[in-house]
Amino acid sequence: MSDQLPRGGVIHDIGYRHYTGPRLGRMAITQALMVSSLRHAYGIGRTGKAKVMPVLLFAVMVVPVVIIVGIENLMQFDEPQLLPVDYIFLLQPVIALYLASQAPQLFSRDLRYRSIVLYLARPPRRTDYALAKLTALVLALMVLIGVPLFILYVGALLAKYDFVDMSKQFAAGLVVALLVSILLAAIGGLIAAATPRRGFAVAAIIAVLIVSFTAVITTTAILDPEGDMSSTAARYASLGSPFSLARTVGTFLLRDHRENDWMPTTEQGLVFVGVYLLVVGLCVWGVNARYAKVARG
Amino acid sequence: MIVRTIVRLTLATLFGHRRGLLLYILPGVFVGLCVLLAFTVDDKSGLAPAMLQQLGLAVILPLVALIAGTGAIATEIDDGSIVYLLSKPIKRSTIILTKAAVAVGVILVLGVVPIVVSGLILDPGDAQTAAAFGVGALAAGIAYTAIFVALSVMSSSAVTIGLLYSLLWESVLGQYVDGVKVLSVQQWSLAIIQRLTDLPSVTSDVKLPISLILLTAVTTAALCLAITRLRTLILSTAD
Amino acid sequence: MPVIATTALTKRYPRVTALDELTVEVGSGVTGLVGANGAGKSTLLKILLGLIAPTAGSAIVLGHDVVTGGEAVRALVGYMPEHDCLPPDVSATEFVVHLGQMSGLPADAARERAADVLRHVGLDEARYRPMGGYSTGMKQRVKLAQALAHDPQLVLLDEPTNGLDPAGRDEMLAVVRRIGTEFGIPVLITSHLLGELESVCDHIVVLDGGRLLRSESKAALTGETGVLAVEVRDLSGRDRLVAALARAGARARPDGPLVLVEIAGDETYDLVRDTIAELGLGLVRVEQHRHRLEEVFNV
Repeated sequence: MSDQLPRGGVIHDIGYRHYTGPRLGRMAITQALMVSSLRHAYGIGRTGKAKVMPVLLFAVMVVPVVIIVGIENLMQFDEPQLLPVDYIFLLQPVIALYLASQAPQLFSRDLRYRSIVLYLARPPRRTDYALAKLTALVLALMVLIGVPLFILYVGALLAKYDFVDMSKQFAAGLVVALLVSILLAAIGGLIAAATPRRGFAVAAIIAVLIVSFTAVITTTAILDPEGDMSSTAARYASLGSPFSLARTVGTFLLRDHRENDWMPTTEQGLVFVGVYLLVVGLCVWGVNARYAKVARG
Repeated sequence: MIVRTIVRLTLATLFGHRRGLLLYILPGVFVGLCVLLAFTVDDKSGLAPAMLQQLGLAVILPLVALIAGTGAIATEIDDGSIVYLLSKPIKRSTIILTKAAVAVGVILVLGVVPIVVSGLILDPGDAQTAAAFGVGALAAGIAYTAIFVALSVMSSSAVTIGLLYSLLWESVLGQYVDGVKVLSVQQWSLAIIQRLTDLPSVTSDVKLPISLILLTAVTTAALCLAITRLRTLILSTAD
Repeated sequence: MPVIATTALTKRYPRVTALDELTVEVGSGVTGLVGANGAGKSTLLKILLGLIAPTAGSAIVLGHDVVTGGEAVRALVGYMPEHDCLPPDVSATEFVVHLGQMSGLPADAARERAADVLRHVGLDEARYRPMGGYSTGMKQRVKLAQALAHDPQLVLLDEPTNGLDPAGRDEMLAVVRRIGTEFGIPVLITSHLLGELESVCDHIVVLDGGRLLRSESKAALTGETGVLAVEVRDLSGRDRLVAALARAGARARPDGPLVLVEIAGDETYDLVRDTIAELGLGLVRVEQHRHRLEEVFNV
C-alpha cells in the first residue's frame, strides 16, 4: 500500500485513502450549487460557446449606459437624460433574450442529460436544488440589470446631479430590477424545467415574452386612445406582461409618481401585487413539482 | 398508405409532450384576448385590423408556424429517429411534402382559423376583412412552413435561427426598415390581404404581383432545398 | 450492525406493487441484488436513498431511517444510476469535482479526491476531455467515480455492467470487488445477469415480483452442492440416463437437451461417467452447470 521508498525504481500505488476532512452541511452545499449556477449563467466554467450569448448580452446592456454617462458629463444637461427604471424597459428585449438563453442552461441541461438524479441522490433536498437554481437566476438577472443601473448612478453623481434625487432613482431602479428579476426567473425557470430540449425551451420563453409584450402593447393602445391610462381596463392590461406587471407593482409599492407613469389606486395596486405573488408562487411550485416527478420516475 | 403513416407519426410528434401545449396556448390567448376586447371596448373602429395584423399576423402566426414547421421534422432529426423513415423506400420528396402538409394543416387549424374567428368577433359586420386575413395568413403560413422545414433539415439550431428570423427579420426589421420589407413574408401576405379587403388601414409596401411571385418562389425553393438536403443528411450519433 | 436493514418495506403503485413486505439485511462486503426487470431492484435503491417514500414498512441505512434521516443517508451513500447521466460538454474531472462538492466536500478536497478516484477507476489521460466522446466503458467509470468521490460508507451500484462488452464487464466487476475488499466500502450491486454476480459477491439477495426470494451468503447458495450439466447425443439417451442415475440414487432431472445432476460429492462424477459408459451413450459434454443461481428461481 503506502510505500515511501521506491524499490528498484518502481513507484507503488498509494492505494485508496479515506477522507477524514470536514464535510459541509446541506445549507453550505446548496450555497455552493447556487454560486456554481450563477457562474454558469455567465459562461464561467463552461466552454467558449456557452460564454458568447451572456457576455454579448451583458455588453449590450452596459455599452449604451456608458455612452449616455459620457454624454451627460460632456454636455452638462440640467437633468439626467435617462431614468434607471425606464432603462429597464427600453432594454426589455435584451433582458428577455438573456432569460431565454440562460434559463435553459440552468434548468433544462440537467433534465436533458438526466444528471439531475445525481444531484437528488445527494444531501440537499429537491426543494433546495430548485431554490438554489432559481436564486442563481435571479442574481444573474440582477447583475445584468443592476450593473448598468449602477454605472448610470455613478455617472449621474459625476455629472453633479442632486445626490439625494439620484440615490432615490437608483434605489427605485434596483427595486424594480429585483421585482422583474424574480418574476422572470420564476417564469423562465418553469418553462425551462418543463422542457428538456434546450432549443424548444429558448423558443418557448421568447414566445411567451414576445406574445405577452405585444398583447399588452396593442391592448393598451386600443383601450387607452388618449394615452392617459384613465381606463381601468387599460390599466389591468398591464397584468399581461412580466415587465409591465413588475413595473406596476414597483410603482405601487414605492409610491413613485412620475408624469409619464400612472399610479394605481389601492385596489388596483393590491390586485397587481396579488397577481405577482400568485404567478411567482405557481412557477416556483411548478419547478418543484417537475423535479419531484423526475425523482419518482 | 405510407403517407398516412407519416401523417400519423408527424401529428404524434407535434402534439406529444409540451409542444402541443404551446400550440394550443398561442391561439387560445389570442382569441381570448380578442373576445375580451370585443366586450370591453366601445369604440371598435380600427380594432380588428390592428389586432389581426399586429398580434395575429406579426406574432402568433409566425410562432405557430415555427413550432409546427420545426416540430414536424426537427425533433426526429435531432434524436435520430428520422432514420426509420430514411431507410425505407420512400421518396424524400414524399417525406418532406407530407410533413410540410401536416404542418400547414396544423397552422390552418391553430393559426388561420383563430385569426378569422377573432376577426369576426372583433367586427361581426366585416366578414370580408376576416376572410382576407385568413387567406393572407394561410399564404404566409405555407411560406413559413417551407422555410422552417428547410431550416430544420439544414441546421440543428433550426429553432433558434427560426426565432431570430421571425423576431428580428419579420417582426422588427420587416416593419420598419424599407429594404427588408421587400423580402418579408409578412409584407407579401399583407399585399394579398390588401387586395381582398376594403379597409384602408391595411397596406403593404410590396405590390401584389411581386408578392405572389416571391411567395411562390420562396416556398418552392425552400421545399426543394429541404428535399435535396434530406437526401444527403448526415446523422450524428455523438451526444 | 447491518449496513442496510429493511422491515416489511412495501411500495404500492396504483396498478402494481413494486415492493411487497420486504424484510432483508445487508452487511459489509459486496452484496448482489438479483432479479428480473421489474422485480423491484431500482425501486428499492430509490427508497434507500430517500428519493421515494415507502407505502409501508421502514428501512434503516447506516443507522439512519430513510424517511426521517434522508439527508444523513445521502451524505454517507454513493449512488451510481443505471441510465446515462453525463452531460457531453463537460470533462470527467470537472464533473466529478463539482459532484464531490455537491456531496459536501470543500473545493480543494473535492479536486484532490476527484483526481484520486478517477485514477482508481482507471480513467487517466481521458479525464480532461469532454465526456461526449467517451466510450460506454469510460462513461460507466465516471459514474462510478462520482459515487466514490466523497468517500462514502456505502455504495449502491445499479447495473454497473450495463452496455459493456465482456472484457469491460470483467474490468468493472474487478473494480467493484476492490471497492468491497481493498477500499473497505460495503457495496450493493444490482444485476439481472445471474452469472456475473457469482464471482464478485459475498452475499446474494434475490428479488422476485417485489418479494424476497432468497438472501444467503454466496457460499451457501453456490457451495458444494453444485450441479453437473451432462449432454448426450439424443433425447432418448437423455431419458435413459436420467432413469439410470435415479436408480443409482443420484438426483437428476432433464433440462432441455441437458441432464442436470446434483453433485453430492466426488463420487457423482464417477457415477455419471460409469453410467454413460454402461448405457453406451454418446457423450457430448460434462461441465459445471453455469447459472447456478437460476435454480433459485425454479424452486
